[in-house]
Amino acid sequence: MNKRTFTSLRHEVDLWSIAAGGICLLILCPLIAVLSGMGHAAPMWEHLKETVLSDYLLNTLWLTLAVSVLAIFMALPAAWILSQFSFPGQKLFEWAMVLPLAVPTYVAAFVYRQVPEAAIPLLIQIRSRWGVDAFLFAEGFIRKGTLTVLMAAVLYPYLYLSLRTAFMVQRRGVIEAAHILGRSPASVFFSVALPLARPALIAGVSLVIMEVINDYGAVYFMGVPTLTVGIFRTWTGLGDLTSAVRLAGIMVFAVFILLALEQLQRGKAHFSEKESAPAHSNQRKLRPVKATLAFLTCLVPIGLGFLIPFIQLLYWAGLSFAHKGLGQLPWTRMGNSLLLALLTAVLLTALGVILNFAQRLHPVRALKLPIRLAGVGYAIPGAVVAVGVMIFLGKFSLIGSVYAICFGYVVRFLAVGLQPIRAGMERVCGSLDQASRVLGHSPTQTLFKINLPLIRGTLMAVVMLVFVDILKELPMTMILRPVDFDTLATLAFGLAQESRIQECAIPSLMIIFLAGTGLFSLNRLLTPPPSHTP
Amino acid sequence: MQFKQAIYTSLLSLFSLSIWAEAPLIIYSHRHYEADEALYVAFTEETGIPVQVLKAGANELMERLKAEGASSKADLFITSDAGRLGEAKALGLLAPIHSEILSTKVPQAFQDPEGTWFGFSMRARVFVYAPERVDASTLSTYEALADKQWRGRILCRSSNNIYNQSLLASIISADGKKEALSWATDVRKNMARPPQGSDRDQIRAVAAGLGDLAIVNTYYVGLMLNSPDPKDREIAQKVKIFFPNQSGRGTHVNISGGGILATSTQKENAQKFLEFMVSDFVQKSFPLNTFEYPVVRNIAWSDLQKSWGTFKTDPLNLAKLYEYGQQAVLLFNMAGWE
Repeated sequence: MNKRTFTSLRHEVDLWSIAAGGICLLILCPLIAVLSGMGHAAPMWEHLKETVLSDYLLNTLWLTLAVSVLAIFMALPAAWILSQFSFPGQKLFEWAMVLPLAVPTYVAAFVYRQVPEAAIPLLIQIRSRWGVDAFLFAEGFIRKGTLTVLMAAVLYPYLYLSLRTAFMVQRRGVIEAAHILGRSPASVFFSVALPLARPALIAGVSLVIMEVINDYGAVYFMGVPTLTVGIFRTWTGLGDLTSAVRLAGIMVFAVFILLALEQLQRGKAHFSEKESAPAHSNQRKLRPVKATLAFLTCLVPIGLGFLIPFIQLLYWAGLSFAHKGLGQLPWTRMGNSLLLALLTAVLLTALGVILNFAQRLHPVRALKLPIRLAGVGYAIPGAVVAVGVMIFLGKFSLIGSVYAICFGYVVRFLAVGLQPIRAGMERVCGSLDQASRVLGHSPTQTLFKINLPLIRGTLMAVVMLVFVDILKELPMTMILRPVDFDTLATLAFGLAQESRIQECAIPSLMIIFLAGTGLFSLNRLLTPPPSHTP
Repeated sequence: MQFKQAIYTSLLSLFSLSIWAEAPLIIYSHRHYEADEALYVAFTEETGIPVQVLKAGANELMERLKAEGASSKADLFITSDAGRLGEAKALGLLAPIHSEILSTKVPQAFQDPEGTWFGFSMRARVFVYAPERVDASTLSTYEALADKQWRGRILCRSSNNIYNQSLLASIISADGKKEALSWATDVRKNMARPPQGSDRDQIRAVAAGLGDLAIVNTYYVGLMLNSPDPKDREIAQKVKIFFPNQSGRGTHVNISGGGILATSTQKENAQKFLEFMVSDFVQKSFPLNTFEYPVVRNIAWSDLQKSWGTFKTDPLNLAKLYEYGQQAVLLFNMAGWE
């Protein structure tokens, strides 16, 4: 018996690592296909270095910095207040804070484009009074400020989600101890909660940064040429894909450093994640004045990131109806969007589990490195990943199928599933799965009986996050989809390209509605009722 | 339940695509106009040939065609710029077309000299100006916009945009590279604000008084005059159109056009489609629906286009736009035109 278990164990172990290795290889192939191009002759590289490269880098740098700081200001106070205090509207805000994630950045940009436009009369005043230099400064300030605000407003939820979880988990232990020891709330926040939440802060900020450097629509529209704009310009305008890929290489490099930093932080603060589950019972009630402030602290980010775009889109949709009557709503496109989003969400989550589980079985470098690398697609603009996917799939005549798109999504978004699932397994499973293995269960049995049930919440969260990301995804869908196949995102973008902004509001609203539904359930999952506390 | 139904429906619709009774004509198109859908339907009604379309950016579509290689099922490649058609030809993606109809109906400047692509609609890149601040008699050429009197008054979108790249390509062709660079540098200096937004945004900024003159495509004015948004209609009525270079080479124009893919298995049907696009029926529809100009002579313009007046077009063969297109982007980078 013992001997049989041993052999079957070895056999299955091999299968897991082979599966993981195979998946990594499959995912890395398109990335290699495109990144290996970096070494080719890049005819325009010198020209780029001499002319525009420094602008691209500078713009990317200030934008990521500004958006990150602003996103922290939007997410951190709200996450803290919502996890510690109770006030009117608190229950609603708790989940509504994530709603801006439902708004694609490019849709927010259409709406916020009106701010610099509305400022034109003011700018004309400035020009006539203080001259052209003052005017140019004010123009840049308003435009870049609007861009920063709109991006922070739709991206802060990444930060909010990770911070709130961290604060809630902390609450019962250290924070309460600090309160009992007589610390004021402010002192608790700055000397206890904030240092403890640093890994969550860094994890959230790195997600925000990756979204910022990958954005194309908003920065292009607002006239801030970042590296991503440079990539497209070099590729499409100069016809030099190699130089474009080199620019992407700079981004990958930056993101790698970022991930390494995050890893460093995560390693140091490991203990903080093992605390008990949250409880709502003893949140402090706020007096009216402070409650009003708390209310506003939450309302402002939601207002900027969700309510304003949402209301403007509703108004446009209304105009469109008034002008053209109630046409057919794009149900088929919605079906397509749902199909792709659900299929990818489930597939990607399953792959995330397999890869992380294999790594737990074999904590060896030979697996760790390829798995870490497989997540790098998240740092590369979607269109560039899509080129790699096409080069790779072209060999098998698979381009233009639902499989091709789903595969492309997995290559691009795997990191969204990899990291939370790894963190989830580390946090919850501890040595339980090892115990199960020692007791003679096979890896598969252990996975299904121990790991999966324990991280059910994390898995559902990953499914929802991926679901939302895919609903909003545009460049890869455009390039990889089958002929005569539209999603809500491609439809919205097509209409926007034609400057039919009013009609574009309808599919945009449908995306927001579907993604909002996903986010609502995600938040339910992240906020388990107190009775769940072990 | 409804959720499930939605999935079933989309699965079904996916499935049904693959069992068309007759092999459909597959078009990769960069054109994204609603009115095009009606043209596809009309083509199917007239010929019985079903049409399927993939809409995406021209460069993305070319990357896809390259990757698909010989196994590509696509038959036609359509763009809204001649430069990209030239690029597709240079990549060996297009097959030569031998069509009496196309080569006689489409003006020489709007077709590839080797017959791999043909234009079917035309757009002009013109000046839109605020009549209360600009005396039309002082307007003349693109080149004149480099003059110091325009400092802080010009509006134009980013040079990422293909329409600007083609315009500069035409200037390179007319005046040479050196002149084109100093033109781009000076015009950039004369801009009222850094380049941003769409052609419509430039028109809005002129109407609002931020600048006095914008370089835009004509059909945007038409689209704004017919916008569902009353604000847009009001703005478009405030501005006037001027066709530059009328006493010289003529106004810069570009085309939407298409070519048949070398890998197409239905070249005959694909040719029928291109011929359909230059039929009177389709040519008459452009001025009314997309506010583009027809390429075929003696097709009536819309009243709106007539109100803008007739104009002389730059006779440059648009195949040159590909030749000078990349140089144009290099020059824009050097000129600091974002």
